Amino acid sequence: MNILTLLIFTPILFGLVILLLPSSLRASFKFITLAATFLQLCFSIYIYLHFQTGVAHAGINHEDQFQFVQKLPWISLDLGSMGKMQIEYFVGIDGISVTLLVMTSLVMVIAAIASWEIKSNLKGFFALFLLLDMAVVGVFCALDFFLFYTFYELMLLPLYFMIGMWGGARREYASIKFFLYTLFGSVFMLLVMVGLYLSVKDPVTGNHTFNIIHMMNPANYIDGSVFSLLSNATILGMPARTVGFVVLFVAFAIKVPVVPFHTWLPDAHVEAPTPVSIILAGILLKIGGYGIIRICIGIFPEVALSGAFWLGLLGVISILYGAFNALAQRDLKRMIAYSSVSHMGFVLLGIASNTAEGISGAVLQMVSHGFLSTMLFFLVGVIYNRVHDRDIYNFRGLGTLMPRYTVYVMVAFFASLGLPGFSAFVAEAFTLAGAFKSHSVNGLLPYWMAICGSIGILLSAAYFLWTLQRMFFGAVSLKGGDVWKTALTDLNFRETATLLPLALIALLLGILPSLVLGKVNDSVLALIQFIQAK
Amino acid sequence: MNPTLPQTDAQTVTLAIIAVVLPFAAFLVNFLLLGKSKVSGWVSTLAILVSTVLAANVFFKIWGSHTIHAQQVWFTIGATKVQAGVLLNNLSVLLLLLVPVIALPVHIYSTAYMEDDDGYSRYFRYLSLFCFSMLALVVVDNLILLYAFWEMVGFSSYLLIGFWFTRESAIIANKKAFIMNRIGDIGLLSAIIILFTQFHTFDLEQLFAEKGLIENAIIANGEWTSTLGSIPATWQYVAFGGIFLAVAAKSAQFPLHTWLPDAMEGPTSVSALIHAATMVAAGVFLLGRFYPMFTGTELTILAVIGCFTAFMAATIALTQNDLKRILAYSTISQLGFMVMAMGVGAYASSLFHLATHAFFKCLLFLVAGIVIHQMKQIKDDNNLDTDPQNILHMGGLRKKLPLTFIAALIGGIALTGLPLTSGYLSKDGILIQAFDWSDDKGGLLKLIPYFALLTSWLTAFYVARLITKVFFGEFRLQKMNPHIRIHMGDGGWQYKLPLVFLAICCLFPVFSYSPVFYEDAWLYKGFLLTNIFVRQNLFHVIIPLIVVILSVVVMYGAYVIYVKRNTWSFPQKGLLYRISFNEWYIDRFYNRVIIRFVMWLSNAFYWFEKKVVDGFVNSLEKVGLAIAGIAAWFDKNIVDGFLHLVADVVHGIGSFARRFQGGKIQYYLYSMLLVLITVFILKLIWT
Repeated sequence: MNILTLLIFTPILFGLVILLLPSSLRASFKFITLAATFLQLCFSIYIYLHFQTGVAHAGINHEDQFQFVQKLPWISLDLGSMGKMQIEYFVGIDGISVTLLVMTSLVMVIAAIASWEIKSNLKGFFALFLLLDMAVVGVFCALDFFLFYTFYELMLLPLYFMIGMWGGARREYASIKFFLYTLFGSVFMLLVMVGLYLSVKDPVTGNHTFNIIHMMNPANYIDGSVFSLLSNATILGMPARTVGFVVLFVAFAIKVPVVPFHTWLPDAHVEAPTPVSIILAGILLKIGGYGIIRICIGIFPEVALSGAFWLGLLGVISILYGAFNALAQRDLKRMIAYSSVSHMGFVLLGIASNTAEGISGAVLQMVSHGFLSTMLFFLVGVIYNRVHDRDIYNFRGLGTLMPRYTVYVMVAFFASLGLPGFSAFVAEAFTLAGAFKSHSVNGLLPYWMAICGSIGILLSAAYFLWTLQRMFFGAVSLKGGDVWKTALTDLNFRETATLLPLALIALLLGILPSLVLGKVNDSVLALIQFIQAK
Repeated sequence: MNPTLPQTDAQTVTLAIIAVVLPFAAFLVNFLLLGKSKVSGWVSTLAILVSTVLAANVFFKIWGSHTIHAQQVWFTIGATKVQAGVLLNNLSVLLLLLVPVIALPVHIYSTAYMEDDDGYSRYFRYLSLFCFSMLALVVVDNLILLYAFWEMVGFSSYLLIGFWFTRESAIIANKKAFIMNRIGDIGLLSAIIILFTQFHTFDLEQLFAEKGLIENAIIANGEWTSTLGSIPATWQYVAFGGIFLAVAAKSAQFPLHTWLPDAMEGPTSVSALIHAATMVAAGVFLLGRFYPMFTGTELTILAVIGCFTAFMAATIALTQNDLKRILAYSTISQLGFMVMAMGVGAYASSLFHLATHAFFKCLLFLVAGIVIHQMKQIKDDNNLDTDPQNILHMGGLRKKLPLTFIAALIGGIALTGLPLTSGYLSKDGILIQAFDWSDDKGGLLKLIPYFALLTSWLTAFYVARLITKVFFGEFRLQKMNPHIRIHMGDGGWQYKLPLVFLAICCLFPVFSYSPVFYEDAWLYKGFLLTNIFVRQNLFHVIIPLIVVILSVVVMYGAYVIYVKRNTWSFPQKGLLYRISFNEWYIDRFYNRVIIRFVMWLSNAFYWFEKKVVDGFVNSLEKVGLAIAGIAAWFDKNIVDGFLHLVADVVHGIGSFARRFQGGKIQYYLYSMLLVLITVFILKLIWT
């Protein structure tokens, strides 16, 4: 049995168990879910430890360099004169995906623990949770565009229901908004996918194929097909490949989210229950970044090169716009949601720079933000569960009331604002270094972008410290008075057990960034070589 | 470690690393094991004691002999290897020794000073973390680690300023300190990124060593060209700007100095160590590290800003009434001297002043701590509502706190720069070299040394004012409240020992066998690039004389004004007084203009977000609903309507036709007649 396949489908097996069990056993569902995610974590750690590095294992556009590959024919239809339809179950990972995969598995464990707070309709929630788990892991492993798309769309459904059914007061508005936004992106993605399918032929079998790696090789494109490099086809008067890139980029940019495609995010976060917020910020946003690297840049590298300026610009805008908006918030969760927009802007800036520092930094930033945003949203969940309020101005002096909680908040805040010693510092510093270097190496981004990006680091200090000052320090004063005072107990064992590993990982990655970079470097170098060759 | 390193050097490196890591170990032990135990104080003190011994060992091996550089790969990003290592040269070992030597007395002092505080062990945790960061900052060998520890010292300073986190003013002060330091941090980060792009390395030695990459890079024709490539010269200036911001933030230079006076919200022992002696000197240290990079114009900028800061801060110190605030402005002023010294090329004197200043300013803060502690005691004992830091309430304390008084006197004289003290040696050097430097400068730059001179007289005045107000005259608090009970004293050995030690270090023999000539100081010589420097012109004789004589006059004047009280006193209302008292309105400007602007901007963005971006999305929703509405209407009225129409027509025709076969004979005949008539009429017409 292929380990990736095991990794992907473990949750669904446990999900089936949950569905089959009678509702009288509902107390056991959370443990079953936790067991599933934990098993998955074990698999992913096994994968991480056995992942080979070196130039011979770089992956990217060499199918034979991917690891833990499984390739099976899935749908094969003989369409007579139109040839054979070839859709494969094709999974495999390289340096770009492996660390994200481990991060995902761990975040899923945390999300499962955070799901303890769910009290209603447990069967539905945990079944959807595990379905979602399967889908996100599948996205990171899929190397067949059809398979990728299937997993990608499959994520939407559980998320929609989880926000819409277990969310806050305005949950319906938020879930519809979320659903429409992402659906908008993926519908057009479907068109491009079909276009690519019709343009690309498997060099061995001669059939049309959805194989992403074949799509990266210009030689596999049929002469005169819409996305062929040589045919210069146009769609609505614009070069077809540019249109294809833009459409895919918009689809992923909505996920990242890049300003101006981001407004689903604050609403979704504010209304979503804690575990869903964790999955959204920790994993879903990374799928956007991953998609841009693997799909957008992988399939349309020459368009990515010529459009790098605009990508970088959007990145810088996201950094600054997100940070300024975070500064204006009074809902703690919304503030953190905007800080996510800001931090994910670094990812886009790093990718746009097309330098080894920039892209490696971007991947590290994704991993780091995965852990840190998980921690942040979990921390918000702690306080919201106790008093059902998150307005920054309704709290004061929590440091005296909940000292251990405050320590974790400080760790999460300072790690997020890029304090050296934590993972975000190395990631952000190197995305900026890559962005600055870009001009003298490949001339893609102007120098000022990196400098503007660094202002985001300053602003992040402002909104996090201001929040600390307003909520946690000073004399105790709560809106809910003594009722809140008794409700606001310090962290319990379950919460500490969740937060401590996250804090330690953020610290570990800050001190030993090679844990991520060691796996990523070869693939990033191969990716850059691949792009430069265009 | 580097395998090519000789055995003895490898040993030195190990010692240095242990010296750096020990305080961190103390931090971990305190944090993980000791909880609220009072043992934590002694764990931290012991760690810093051993660090001091080791650092001294390292110092004597390196000082004046050679440079050791050891490193190993930390991580690889892309194809760039980032090293982590230790660089020991004169500059780093001086600070490696200076920091624990200052920190040790502060630790001892703190065990008594913080004894009754609930956060005793937390305090020592933070203090050890700070010492670790500061020591690491001075020995690291590359820009990434330098930045990391640069920010770590800022972070530990943040923790310590906000140590009493339930006090509103303390947490506003620590936020301000961190954010202003962050401005410097992004400056430093930008500079690092620019250097990395230009030279492809983070290694300090490769960059800044003699004949290193920086020295070989030239600025010509608008390009900054190194052996590895070139970028527009603008970016060299931006890099300088970034470094300047970093220095201005950490070493409290104009315009980023306003956090330092507020940072006095922290415990006084912390102010002594961090906000007077060590951390704030990090900016000057950074200038020392990056020195080869600066061009002539850039050095002039440093000189001007340094001189302006020194002057401005001294004028503010004249009128403040808060004991710690006066000392804080004095620190800013002295740091201005150091930055100016860097700018005028007095590299060695600048670092010399850094070292001497560390001792006497730390001493003065510890003195202030004792005074404030005693004042607070009186306040608590008698339930008074007074500010224990206000010097207007003090007076005549020399009899009650004799040792403290002597220590204050020595520290004050050293700060003023009178002979026989270390301050005289280091400050003199700066002034003389400033005059030398301005010799071939024209225009307003000629004024720089004169302003520096003026500043040193202002220094004499505020020092004299401080000491006379606190230690001479009569005890004004008692005069205002005649019935209060007073128990005062210098305190136990944990107070006395640090004072004595630091006071001794303020005297000239520690630095030079000659009480008069700064050129003889070993510390000065250690940083001199060429050892030949003779007193060739008149400045070297006149300036020390003028400084000393006028300082003494000014001090006596202050003594007369404040103690005798029967002569002329200063106006308390004039414009100059208000500017000084309100700290040149700089903070008010920041609060009213810059912070408001940023908040306005962030609210504007949020408005844009809600009204425009979300508005657009919501209007899309409305448009969608409207289209759906139209479609529904169309469906109902047009499509369905057409169907209904067809149905109606068919129905109508059907009903119409049905009538023809209703079974009534008359109807049949009638219609047949009608048909016949019609046929006939038509026939008639056609024919």
